Amino acid sequence: MIHLENVSKVYKNGTNALSNVTLDINDGEFVYFIGETGSGKSTLIKLLDGEEIPTKGKVIVNGTNVGRLRFSKVPLYRRKIGVVFQDYQLLKNKTVFDNIAFALEVINKPRKEVNNRVREVLQIIDLSNEFKNYPTQLSGGQQQRVVIGRAISNNPGLLICDEPTGNLDPRHSKEIIELLEKINASGTTVIVVTHDEFLVNSYKRRTILLDNGRIVSDNPLGGYCHV
Amino acid sequence: MFRKIGHAFKEAFWGLTHHLAMVTSTANAITITLVLVSVLTVLIANVNQITYDVEDDIQLYVKIEKDVDDKDIATMQSKISRIAGVENVEYSDADAELDRFIAAYGEAGEIYEIYRDDNPLSRVFIVKIAGGYSLAEVSQQISTVDGIDSVDFGGATVEDFVKLLNGTRKVGLIFAGALTLLAVFLIYNTIKITINSRKEEIGIMRLVGATNSYIRAPLVLEGVFIGILGAIIPIVLTIFGYQYIYTSMDGQLVSGILKLLPVFPFTVYVSCFVLAMGIIVGLVGSFLSATRYLRWKR
Repeated sequence: MIHLENVSKVYKNGTNALSNVTLDINDGEFVYFIGETGSGKSTLIKLLDGEEIPTKGKVIVNGTNVGRLRFSKVPLYRRKIGVVFQDYQLLKNKTVFDNIAFALEVINKPRKEVNNRVREVLQIIDLSNEFKNYPTQLSGGQQQRVVIGRAISNNPGLLICDEPTGNLDPRHSKEIIELLEKINASGTTVIVVTHDEFLVNSYKRRTILLDNGRIVSDNPLGGYCHV
Repeated sequence: MFRKIGHAFKEAFWGLTHHLAMVTSTANAITITLVLVSVLTVLIANVNQITYDVEDDIQLYVKIEKDVDDKDIATMQSKISRIAGVENVEYSDADAELDRFIAAYGEAGEIYEIYRDDNPLSRVFIVKIAGGYSLAEVSQQISTVDGIDSVDFGGATVEDFVKLLNGTRKVGLIFAGALTLLAVFLIYNTIKITINSRKEEIGIMRLVGATNSYIRAPLVLEGVFIGILGAIIPIVLTIFGYQYIYTSMDGQLVSGILKLLPVFPFTVYVSCFVLAMGIIVGLVGSFLSATRYLRWKR
């Protein structure tokens, strides 16, 4: 499903973010990317969601060469993937229901389909009773669940999470990982970028360690490791 | 499709109501700009009309020498008509000139009937000049034709007046252009502020796959609304202001020769133009602003 071939990324300021990264991730996999700040994890996500283009190499997601994607085609590509960031990025003037519906409305899904899908998503993220609440009335963990709900609302084949538990306490972090596992169990490929050693060791999945823009370890059995 | 349009209108209205102070101040600035544009349009259109009238009235009186034989007149007429800038050549004999002279003085002109038998006036060609040609140059060329006694035109004064009118028109156009650019810049900045206040929302839209046109539509619409709001007062001022000026000046400038354009349908045209300017300025300013923001990253 995801194929990276000799991918390098050098930013305009000369920062060498990734060097000759080659990697394959199969459909339905759950993969952790770990590594220190500046190791290239965020750049990898930006390459996968089409925000950046590689300086060298190929980034292929579901047969689409993301680096070669025309500017006008990027939005259509993004509809097939879900992205979750550490800082929840919820619209404070919209309810939980409307925040999730927003993602479907902006891609012109019919109203009926939006309503049905949002109800399904609320069940998945276990926030059916809070659908009328505003983000400020929710805990950090609940807010992150809404963000995940929004990211999966269009049934993406790939869910990319950048430090999804970065702002959460251990109990809420555990809830988020369990939710991501549930989503993964339904067939969605999940990529999680994290620093959380406890989580990586508690929920062992394929773990890729990046250092200075290179893959230094790719452990299919999982578990946190250091350079 | 209708949902998209509905969304764009809803969001544009949201933008207008949530930055009311900014929208009002921009609309006010646009109003001032469009009032000036309207004044300049009225001025330019009237100057155009006056220039046209003056140029249309310009005729050269080409006197024929007394000893020129009548049979040579046709040849001379043909020679003059071949000169560049000559639109029409009309021959008028001495009797016709006397008739015209007498008629010009009305009843008092009858006194000149005594010259009917011994007419001192010359035969003339009345030459009409095409627009864009120098009166002095054409006159000079006509005077070289054999048998021409003199060429008489309004002289430098007429030509200078036409030049002045053309200059006024050019300066007016430059000012109107500069003001339009200023208005575009004002809208550009207002939409930039709207974009900044909605950065988060726009970021999420991009994240979930909204197209640029979907994100841009409400922003552009907001700019257009501001442009329309800014055009309302200039339109009202144009209609009533021009009517007032026209009535108080009795439809003419200085003398009856320089006529102002009639109120109707002129004010309707200027109003439509001002409204179109408001819409275009709003459209261009907001489109540039939104496109610039949406272009800077994938």
